[in-house]
Amino acid sequence: MNRTHNTSSLNNQAELCILLIDENVQRAESISCALNNSRYRISHLASPGASLLKQVDEIQPDIIVIDIESPSRDILESLQAISHFNPKPVVMFSAQNDTNTINQSIESGVSAYVVGDIEPVRVKPILDAAVARFREFQKLKNELSDTKQQLASRKTIDQAKRLLMKKKNMSEDEAFRAMRKTAMDTGQKLDDVAKTLLSILGTL
Amino acid sequence: MAKTNKGNNMKKPEQTTLTLGFIPLTDSAPLIVAKELGFFSQWGLDVTLQKQNSWATLRDKLHAGLLDAAQMLAPMPLASTLGLGCTPTAVITPLVLSLNGNAITLSEKLHQEVIAENKITHLTLPMAAYLLQRVIATRKAQDRPKLKFATVFPYSCHFYQLRDWLASANITDQDVDIVVVPPVNMVAHLQSSEIDGCCVGGPWNAKAVRAGTGLTALTSFDIWQDSPEKVLGLLESWYKQNPNTVLALTAALKQACSWLESIPNRFEAARLLSSEQYLDASVDVIAPSLIGSCLTHITMPPRSIPSYNQFSKSNNGTINIPEYVRGEWLMSQMNSAGQLAGVNVPVDLVKRVFRPDIYQQMRLTLEDQKVQFFRHSG
Repeated sequence: MNRTHNTSSLNNQAELCILLIDENVQRAESISCALNNSRYRISHLASPGASLLKQVDEIQPDIIVIDIESPSRDILESLQAISHFNPKPVVMFSAQNDTNTINQSIESGVSAYVVGDIEPVRVKPILDAAVARFREFQKLKNELSDTKQQLASRKTIDQAKRLLMKKKNMSEDEAFRAMRKTAMDTGQKLDDVAKTLLSILGTL
Repeated sequence: MAKTNKGNNMKKPEQTTLTLGFIPLTDSAPLIVAKELGFFSQWGLDVTLQKQNSWATLRDKLHAGLLDAAQMLAPMPLASTLGLGCTPTAVITPLVLSLNGNAITLSEKLHQEVIAENKITHLTLPMAAYLLQRVIATRKAQDRPKLKFATVFPYSCHFYQLRDWLASANITDQDVDIVVVPPVNMVAHLQSSEIDGCCVGGPWNAKAVRAGTGLTALTSFDIWQDSPEKVLGLLESWYKQNPNTVLALTAALKQACSWLESIPNRFEAARLLSSEQYLDASVDVIAPSLIGSCLTHITMPPRSIPSYNQFSKSNNGTINIPEYVRGEWLMSQMNSAGQLAGVNVPVDLVKRVFRPDIYQQMRLTLEDQKVQFFRHSG
């Protein structure tokens, strides 16, 4: 079976692997049944414990579905804070009705998404929504970090340019062209050249 | 001590029926004692204690108002307010519930490895972290997996204490793996060697020792002396709506902390904690840390750590006060663990979260009450 392991598989209709953490085996089975003939494939895990980390590593699930009352929630919480796992959508559910209120308080999209009790008929739309929401969030996050990155490199390039102008008596245009030429000749990015320049010229 | 809420200066609590969240641990004693000995009801509060299985869910329920207040890991109110791992939600703490209480336990396998690699006959406790260096070096040379240590939550003193201990021997996160494991799974995973060591609270260290699966190398008191471990956490918005309820709650819990100062009382607390609705564990793993004894190894004598679980100190009236300096210290730990990278920290964060003013207000009310009590009793 061909399965892609990275989050990019969320972008198309490829089969998605779900890690289900639920001590209620019966419920897990009915969820599994409800997803027959869909793009979701369930790897059930009844009593996880720390082996959850190992399982996440081996199975490389695309989505994690977990009972909000499971002690293993703290493991998932740590995946991003301590370890450097790829972010994954986490769908949380609870058999207690009141937990629906938690919905609003959870950082939407990051990876947490509470859905109340998980009834087999509702499973597929819930997963679809979670995946869509997660994808949207990741896109925004990537755009934000790209923008930040661009701003940062523009600043570095400007700094290097000014330093060249000052130390080498170049005009702004000459400084920029010198840097661009070095970048092209050495196959480096412009802001990498700028960084090198800053560290060399800065110490002279 | 006032036995009733009638006829004193304490204003009537706005909300009298409360649900408090707790994680079944030895240091949840103040909540359980306040409930079982009727301290909450003396302050006009009808409190339900709701057992939680994970810190993340406890936090989310507090944020959503499903819990009115909760026993929290000391760094959690700061993490909540900053929005680390959650939507930023202003959580405050008016009371420090306990100091110390954690310990680092090594699996029996790692214990033997440390002895063999260092060519020693036995460990001197508290164990110095440099004894791990040879183990780490040998494992690296033989291309074996890194040592794996477990902690209980990313924003916990356990995590920072473990890092601090390792750092004392220049061991960093590059040399070992640090993972999160729920306390309830800790002993089984030491046994199965899925982890080589852990930093966890009671009764889990004592459980590992009694089961013959581990060696408790040192306690958190050996790493940081008298640092806050658990605090009372509640929403800032809830406090604004229910200031008198918060005063009553703080007073009842402070009363429980003071009650827990005497050793005979702590033994009684161990009995209360052991029941199924709370820790569901036997007294022989709960009592030792409560009465200041650290079980070390199945073949070794316990160590005396009088402050292993500290809830109150009459010769130091400040330990339950959420002082700013405590908050600043926790922030410095979060920072050195890299948890504040790229986070915008407001300058007044600690002052917003740590609320010694509420604590002082509660003390003043208590003093007033004592004066009135003596006046009435002539």
